[in-house]
Amino acid sequence: MRKVILASLLGGALLFSARAESPTPEQLQILKEMGVSPADVIIEEGREYYHNLKGTTGKTCASCHGQDGDGLVGAYAKMPRYYTDIKRVADIDLRIKSCLEKYVGVDASGKKGRKIIVPLAGYVATLSNGMPISVELKHPEEKRLYEYGKELWFKRVGARDFSCAICHDVLAGKRIRLQKLGAPVRDKLYAHWPAYRISKDKLWTMEDRIRGCYKSFFLFDPDKGKFDFKKNWVKKPPFYIEEIIALELYMKRAANGAKIEVPGLLR
Amino acid sequence: MKRGLLVALFASAGIIACQPASQAVKQEKQTLSAQAKTQEKVDKAQLFRKALNAQDKWQKACSNPTQIAPEGVDVAQFIKEMKETIKYPKDGKLVGDWKKGESLALLPKEYKALYGTKGGSRKGNCYACHCGDPRIIACGNIGPSLRGYGNKGIDPKLTYDRIYNSWAQVPCSTMFRFGYHGLLSPEEIAHIVGYLHDPESPINK
Ligand code: HEC
Ligand code: HEC
Ligand code: HEC
Repeated sequence: MRKVILASLLGGALLFSARAESPTPEQLQILKEMGVSPADVIIEEGREYYHNLKGTTGKTCASCHGQDGDGLVGAYAKMPRYYTDIKRVADIDLRIKSCLEKYVGVDASGKKGRKIIVPLAGYVATLSNGMPISVELKHPEEKRLYEYGKELWFKRVGARDFSCAICHDVLAGKRIRLQKLGAPVRDKLYAHWPAYRISKDKLWTMEDRIRGCYKSFFLFDPDKGKFDFKKNWVKKPPFYIEEIIALELYMKRAANGAKIEVPGLLR
Repeated sequence: MKRGLLVALFASAGIIACQPASQAVKQEKQTLSAQAKTQEKVDKAQLFRKALNAQDKWQKACSNPTQIAPEGVDVAQFIKEMKETIKYPKDGKLVGDWKKGESLALLPKEYKALYGTKGGSRKGNCYACHCGDPRIIACGNIGPSLRGYGNKGIDPKLTYDRIYNSWAQVPCSTMFRFGYHGLLSPEEIAHIVGYLHDPESPINK
């Protein structure tokens, strides 16, 4: 749908078919220069939800956090952080999911939940645009998770002996096939997340990104023998799990000081 | 401004971008299924943690910030232990059929692009990191190019060992241990050795 919009917007010059893997950097550049991001449509959807979505409590996000997100300006720059009401360190996904379920009264689980959470996360993140990332590690839980995230970043595991650091520190700048490997920690790439992925025509939060990367590890259930595509492949961590939030805390802390510019526009 | 431009453009295209939020959400009040969901989530989290904790001692030694220099172990001992994991095909043949090897080294889509037929596998994935067959342009630059590998006079046993367990030659290498992890069987590795060494293979022609 959005692809159709894009195509009709930009005409032949930018028409990438559904199976095209990656629009060229030139195409991305044209989009940026035009000031058009297809992600804006999704952010707009998030804004809609923020003001109008009601559940069993009758409240909207705006009832508690203010019209046009006034009360959430700058909040994303400090996340993930510890919240006393849910007694957990939460990233933007989990924080919004908690508010949806606890305060709005909407079931935000599963894939259906993602359809609401992701646009909302995009919208809330834009409220911190232009501000520097400033993750503080004050609460003991934040400190613990940061250390855990660092451990996971370097942890080589699975049937491919991978770690995040293998691809994003050691091999950063090289190509896996034609895909260039970025350095999220060294280059503070967190500043452009959540990001719109043109190849998938989707807004992705960092949770989506990390789950996607874990898929390449070929993690497996060791109780069922060696790795097997059908028998015991553990493809991705479930959403909102502590391990994902720990990695986010590690990467975002490393990006402290970088100016938030979301949604990013990636291939 | 940005939004204004977009909205104007969409309006002119006659396309409504957003669904009404109220429609998108319906209450689900089946307590039973909600409980089942929570249980499933716990299980998935446990399974993921189990898989994460299934780290072997050599992976652990390679998990320090350098990532490529094993820590807390003797390197000679590390290499010796990795060598001991290497198993060979029952018939003792280390150089197999290069055509079978090619089908293991290439992804299905790479194979199809070359031959128009079904073939390839997700097991080898060599071109993610290496170039080799000059017809495959979408190749990685993480490992050295394998172009002409068979003309260099390298002992095929060394090649076999490298693919079975690269860590027996380069501890903590980014090239994963195909045989050790069971990604490729000894016979399959021998076919890939054929693919790398056979003069008829596109790697060497
Ligand atoms: C009934 C009131 C209420 C409603 C409705 C509500 N929230 Fe919250 N929200 C809270 C509370 C309480 C916190 C925790 C504040 C704290 O501990 O600093 C919170 C925290 C947050 C935060 C983190 C703020 C920060 O400073 O770190 C975000 C983001 C957020 N909510 C988004 C939303 C969104 C999006 C919605 C609508 C889906 C929503 N909330 C609905 C009460 C509410
Ligand atoms: C096999 C290599 C590989 C491993 C291992 C890997 N990634 Fe990635 N990662 C990629 C690739 C390739 C991309 C770019 C994808 C694209 O361009 O579509 C990427 C993208 C990313 C990005 C976004 C970078 C940007 O440009 O903004 C982040 C953040 C990231 N990965 C985090 C992680 C984390 C955390 C882990 C460990 C759980 C991990 N990755 C493991 C290959 C890897
Ligand atoms: C994740 C990346 C990666 C993958 C996948 C990979 N390799 Fe490698 N390979 C490397 C690296 C890096 C080296 C350089 C030496 C080292 O670090 O082990 C290497 C070295 C080699 C060498 C030695 C080259 C020389 O000139 O000495 C051979 C042979 C080889 N790889 C074959 C293969 C084959 C066959 C496959 C597929 C079954 C494969 N590799 C898959 C990364 C990879």
